[in-house]
Amino acid sequence: MPREREKDWDENLYKKIDRYDLVQNLEQCLQCGKCTGNCPVAAITPSYNPRAIINDILSGDITRLLDSEEIWRCFWCANCYRVCPVDIHYPLLMMQLRYAALEEGYGLKYVQPINKYAFRAMEKGLTFVPGQKGIEKIMKLRSQLQATSWPEVSEQAIKEFCEIFEQTGAKAWMENLENMPEKPLRLSFLEGRITDE
Amino acid sequence: MSNLHITTPQERIISAAQRIGEVPEKLFLFRSCTGSMEYPGTENSIKEVLKILEVEVVMDSDQTCCSGYILTCSGYPPEPSLAITARNLALVEQRYGLDTYMFCNGCFGYNTELSHILNHYPKYKEMANNIIAQYGYNYQGKTRIRHVQELYYLLIDKIREKVVRPLNGLRVGVHYGCHYLAQQYGILDEGDLPTFHEEIIEALGGTPVFYKERRMCCGYAVGRGFTHKESVVEPHLAKKFDSAKEEGVELITTCCPGCNVALDREQPALAKRGFGPYDIPVIDIAQLIGLALGVPIWKLGFNANTTPLDRVLNKLGLEKGE
Amino acid sequence: MDSVKTALVIGGGLAGLEAAIKIGQAGHKTILVEKEAALGGNVAKLFSSFPRWENPVDLLEYKINKLKECSLISVMTGTTVKFAQKRDKSYSVELLSTTGTKNKIEVDAVVIATGFELFDASVYGEYGYGSFDNVMDSLQFEAKLKEWSENKENISPPKSVAFFKCVGSRDRSKGFPYCSKVCCMYTAKQAGLVKDLFPDTRCFVFYMDYRAAGKEYEEFTRSVIEQKHVRYVRGRPSKVLPEDGRLLIRAEDTLMGVPIEITADMIVLASAVVPSHGTKEMSKLFNAKIDQYGFIDHEDFNPVKTGDRVFYAGACGFAVENLGAMHQGAAAAAEVISLFNQVD
Repeated sequence: MPREREKDWDENLYKKIDRYDLVQNLEQCLQCGKCTGNCPVAAITPSYNPRAIINDILSGDITRLLDSEEIWRCFWCANCYRVCPVDIHYPLLMMQLRYAALEEGYGLKYVQPINKYAFRAMEKGLTFVPGQKGIEKIMKLRSQLQATSWPEVSEQAIKEFCEIFEQTGAKAWMENLENMPEKPLRLSFLEGRITDE
Repeated sequence: MSNLHITTPQERIISAAQRIGEVPEKLFLFRSCTGSMEYPGTENSIKEVLKILEVEVVMDSDQTCCSGYILTCSGYPPEPSLAITARNLALVEQRYGLDTYMFCNGCFGYNTELSHILNHYPKYKEMANNIIAQYGYNYQGKTRIRHVQELYYLLIDKIREKVVRPLNGLRVGVHYGCHYLAQQYGILDEGDLPTFHEEIIEALGGTPVFYKERRMCCGYAVGRGFTHKESVVEPHLAKKFDSAKEEGVELITTCCPGCNVALDREQPALAKRGFGPYDIPVIDIAQLIGLALGVPIWKLGFNANTTPLDRVLNKLGLEKGE
Repeated sequence: MDSVKTALVIGGGLAGLEAAIKIGQAGHKTILVEKEAALGGNVAKLFSSFPRWENPVDLLEYKINKLKECSLISVMTGTTVKFAQKRDKSYSVELLSTTGTKNKIEVDAVVIATGFELFDASVYGEYGYGSFDNVMDSLQFEAKLKEWSENKENISPPKSVAFFKCVGSRDRSKGFPYCSKVCCMYTAKQAGLVKDLFPDTRCFVFYMDYRAAGKEYEEFTRSVIEQKHVRYVRGRPSKVLPEDGRLLIRAEDTLMGVPIEITADMIVLASAVVPSHGTKEMSKLFNAKIDQYGFIDHEDFNPVKTGDRVFYAGACGFAVENLGAMHQGAAAAAEVISLFNQVD
């Protein structure tokens, strides 16, 4: 990869990513590395580096964030947030970064299989309802405990849950994702280290 | 400058008495999706334990899933989750006027973060209340969000008195999970060196084991158990289990059904890949407290567990059907 | 109206000693009050100093001799200030000694020189201070260095020692946002001293920056890295875990962008410099200006003046190195002398 230049840096990238104003103190980052040192994902995949991702967001680097494989690895353990000396809520930042990536068509394969459960939640009021076999197993377990055979969620509650998704436009957003063409991801941060200039 | 109030250490680490105040006579128990489906024994155990501790539990079928899990997967934008959180908490405020207790770190974490956003960003509170007004709800931020593990600690002396089946030194490794100790708005203990669960284990007659990776995440949030199981989550979990096995841990306790799914149900897959084998059963701390306090074993719901409890029960001289 | 003026200097550390000596030598009655049994404050606890590797004992001996040579200075150790009342052009002050003796004095100017303490790093559960063996702060380590140097032949040296900088400093989350100024220099000094004592011991300094803004400071720090072979790793450590009797450190080498794990036998925390309890008490008694952290603050345009007839010097105002403490002590003395020489 050639040397990065000013055209590769978009100074509005931070605001574009933090579209919900949830991580307002990103510029306080001291690049101390406490986050990456504690990150369980970084301990397994060397190219995933929270500190480096923050650095890229602040510089506005548009060459590697959105189409990277790495940003899909964070699992919100919040070790980073817990030890950060300036309390940057990194997981909330990653959640929003992933929205930005999805809207460009990157990472759909990591969200669509999970959204199948979100659509089901709009019918049942519960997340991660399994298939028929799983449902039967659950009903058996519950009856052994002399509890109701299925967790009690009222029809009215499910109706309201579903309507809230529709009225906020979230259902349409999710349906749009189902139909988007998928673009390929790459291990951007690892590739970035191999220069041929 | 940030809208979010950055807390000081004095505000963050506070005693159970400060977190909760007087022991509640009655509380609202927030239904957890995973807790009521994957491990119904957990929900049952909590109700049994709280009955013994003389705390009345109220649930409501109009409460829905918090929708926080898939939100964190970036499955949908935050607006519906903000409105749904406001709706559920307004329900508790308007119908019961009680504190809302979660028994899942996930529910707890999502509701705490989302309600914090609702209470500090007027634009989001307005948006949420506009939507839920059509159902007769209005969220005011009055109900306090707590986790039952805090209540167990507040009542630790009572628990100790009521033990009828002491654990005989059983080597128990605690898994605290991430979303309770990571939050910044007031927790019982220090996030990296907590000891309050270990104190409960001691009160039950068990031997708490400080295995090296006890503070390691279960890896199952943000859907990673689906999307990155072989590549990231399994090698990660193997490290945690290796460290527990090395210290001779016989049982792991959790306070989150999500963590329970990860730690309990991943063990066969790990064994197949050549990690371990571990054969360390994983149960909710409420189930362990229930066991020690004399709740009939069949009520604790160990049939839901993938990694069997037989060895532990045998060691304690108990039968599954008791 | 010429009358005999008396100055009260509270604190017998380096800044207080300097102030008392200069005021006494200028011909004014001076009372130096020190709460401990011996003079010297935090400097007396040090094994060496930067940037010239001088023995602080020599410096303190020199100052204390100068103090004793001046008959106008009376030194009261084991004594604290209990009460102060402002009068029109003086303070009425009550002293209490550890023997229980009370003393009431009238003074015309006060110099607060009550120094600093180190932040209690036990809020950092990730470092295990107060929970794990062999995790200590820099003043405790300084005592260790003295112990080692006196008993070198009988000690089996540690295989490696790790130094963590910025513990409690530059931390808006659990500590203080400010930089404690002196830790980069004293950490380099301590690491260098370990290498002098035990050349085979590996020393790691975990840093975010190294700040060497002073005369001979950069050369000093580079000499520790280049000639004493201390390894500097850029990354603030994330976690410490006890393992097999040693300490496992997890951090990121941010210059390489890789997470690392290093095992050490001992960890030294450069904990933040915070105002001492004495500073907090004196600032209340004398109604001194203080900042949001409790350090004594100065009036506009007057860097050592904090109130009417009240001055201050040394680390009670903010972290400062030895040379600076002496400068400030002398400046506070100059203010007092100038005040006393004014025609009423």
